[in-house]
Amino acid sequence: MPIEVILPKVDMDMETGTIETWHVKEGDQVRQGDTIFEIGTNKAVMEVEAPATGAIRNIKAETGVPIAVGTPVAWIYLDGEAAAAPSEPTAAAAPVAAAASLPPTEAPLSPAIAGPSAASGLRATPLARRIARQNGLDLKAVTGTGPRGRIGEADVKRHLEQRPRCSPAPEARPAPTPAASPSEGRLQPFSAIRRIVASRLSESMRTAPHFYLTSEIEMSAARELLRRLAARHERIGAPKPSLTVLIARVAARILRDHPVINASAEGEATRFHERIDIGIAMERDGDLVVPVLRDAASMDMPAMSREFARLRDGMAKRTLTPAELGGGTFTISNLGMYGVDSFTAIINPPQGAILAVGRTLDKPVGREGQIVLRPMANFTLSSDHRIVDGVAAARFMAELREALENPEVLL
Amino acid sequence: MPSDTLEAGSEIRELSYAEAVREALGQAMEADERVFLFGEDVGVYGGAFGVSGDLVHRFGKERVIDTPISELGIAGAAVGAAITGMRPVLEIQFSDFVTLAMEQLVNQAAKIRFMFGGKASVPMVVRLPGGSGTGAAAQHSQSLEAWFAHVPGLKVLQPSTPHDAKGMLLAAIDDPNPVLIFEHKLLYKTKGHVPAEAYRVPIGKAAIRREGTDVTIVGSSIMARKAEAVAERLASDGISAEVIDLRSIRPIDFTTIAESVRKTHRLLVVYEGVKTMGIGAEISAMIAESEVFDFLDAPIIRLGGADAPIPYNPVLEKAAVPQEDDIVAAASNLVRRGEA
Repeated sequence: MPIEVILPKVDMDMETGTIETWHVKEGDQVRQGDTIFEIGTNKAVMEVEAPATGAIRNIKAETGVPIAVGTPVAWIYLDGEAAAAPSEPTAAAAPVAAAASLPPTEAPLSPAIAGPSAASGLRATPLARRIARQNGLDLKAVTGTGPRGRIGEADVKRHLEQRPRCSPAPEARPAPTPAASPSEGRLQPFSAIRRIVASRLSESMRTAPHFYLTSEIEMSAARELLRRLAARHERIGAPKPSLTVLIARVAARILRDHPVINASAEGEATRFHERIDIGIAMERDGDLVVPVLRDAASMDMPAMSREFARLRDGMAKRTLTPAELGGGTFTISNLGMYGVDSFTAIINPPQGAILAVGRTLDKPVGREGQIVLRPMANFTLSSDHRIVDGVAAARFMAELREALENPEVLL
Repeated sequence: MPSDTLEAGSEIRELSYAEAVREALGQAMEADERVFLFGEDVGVYGGAFGVSGDLVHRFGKERVIDTPISELGIAGAAVGAAITGMRPVLEIQFSDFVTLAMEQLVNQAAKIRFMFGGKASVPMVVRLPGGSGTGAAAQHSQSLEAWFAHVPGLKVLQPSTPHDAKGMLLAAIDDPNPVLIFEHKLLYKTKGHVPAEAYRVPIGKAAIRREGTDVTIVGSSIMARKAEAVAERLASDGISAEVIDLRSIRPIDFTTIAESVRKTHRLLVVYEGVKTMGIGAEISAMIAESEVFDFLDAPIIRLGGADAPIPYNPVLEKAAVPQEDDIVAAASNLVRRGEA
């Protein structure tokens, strides 16, 4: 019997995964332990190894489509089986997002119950198949919740209840005018990361009452410090320090004195985190990812610059582990390099606060009775009001201003 | 026409399984002088499990015959007597010993009617105490009914209640063909309501012991009783089990099983005989081959005896055959959609 290759569960709470890259193609010989595909999950890419040695056949999962954990995505035919079992027609693995496909209007023929090659796909009980036949339903659109994604009666019935009713009486409805219908456009199912971002941020907005404090902070001293640090880092072989790293360094330092900002709401309690782990929001191929500077308060500027560079490279090469991409206690999002003046960010749950940084711009300000130009930047702190009160957040912002305007004090 | 030592006043009394069998034997012998018993220790000793009891005193040594220790001899004599018009009922002291009588039962009794074009028939009944649970080890504890269910020409019964033990034995004695009745040793002392008059329970008709909607549990003999007990526990866990007592495994009441599975969509077959190549395989295949296939919402599951001789060690002896907890676990898994 050919060995099944299933989409594995590589992360806790993982229900679906997306194959990012296939490293093998139909008919390739693989050895047990070879990497056969990469799976995109909770913001990381994991390599999946061949469970056996043999020939890869019947690759049936496309890249970029979310697939339920446990779904067979290919088969490995052992030596001797390969010749006897010709490649089967590939069938698309059931996309989890039941996406756009409306049920076909004609009942499909009874799905073939393949003999030795029941490999061909879809697991469904006889009763599920029968009900699908009777309702003209394509089982590919149904998500199975049984063992190994098996579709049972309950799955089909649930799907039938949820699917949009096709109107069988066209004369009863006026034809929709083209102007009234929305532009069709292109419908792209969420990537694995996009789905996580969507669900987590929706949850954050639903459960955490956000409030926002904005401070305009003069960046002259910070700029000067960065200039001097750049020279020093060059001497010692550390990466050039960036404003984002400096802000993270300053935030890590002052968060020690503001434990409630480095905290999470847990039910009806506040979890004060012992360590300060600062996530830095970044973009990769259109997706939002947040690598974490672990124990940020323990790092000096050269160390933090090195760690930041490592995370950024790892993110680009997709070598970061899920652990490096989650679990922060505070997040910084800097959109200044895009010319954004100021913005409010959504808290990255279960954290209690996020700092949004705008661009640094020379602005006229009053100093000692004179209007002078100074480099100014807007910092906006979003806080979870369940655990952070306005005054606590304001104290944090006051100290942030103090530190950024006089960074030598802290560093 | 109640006329034995048991109280006969009320219509329905509580009897033990062994008493019910004895009552059937007595009533059959009273009604038909062609009926006679023989076997090892069925006379003065009253039977190894006390089933024939005092029958030798009521009907005499000519009709309740103690035989030598030769199962082949007992079976051969029974076949001959049946062909010549008698109605022999024989007891194989432990069903395990039936191996010694295979030639007469399988090659003679089962085939004579067919080989003589219906001009001869073999109206004999064989009672076989079987099953494990008495600490009697590998040669005295087997469940061999499936062997005989494989033979065209034989009928194989496994009554589970005192009521059925009496009614099916009387139906078997009436039957013009050889009938084997496997009686589970652990059932002999179980009690139940038994009507006093001579009545028949039809051969080949299963009984629905409990109606349910989530899973069909099929068993016979002691497993039907266990399934019935387990159904209560499952109900308290929110699982509605339908329990079918096969009563007869050849002929088998496929219609009743199929109708039940069509309703519940799930099938669990429980039997004490060795699981491999057993009764469960036959029932599973019958359902899978039939139109009911399209109504299955889960794999068919068999719970059978271990693929090993019955051990003497009492812990292992219990572990070798399905127990109530095993049935609960299997039924729960099946309904909760795990791999049972």
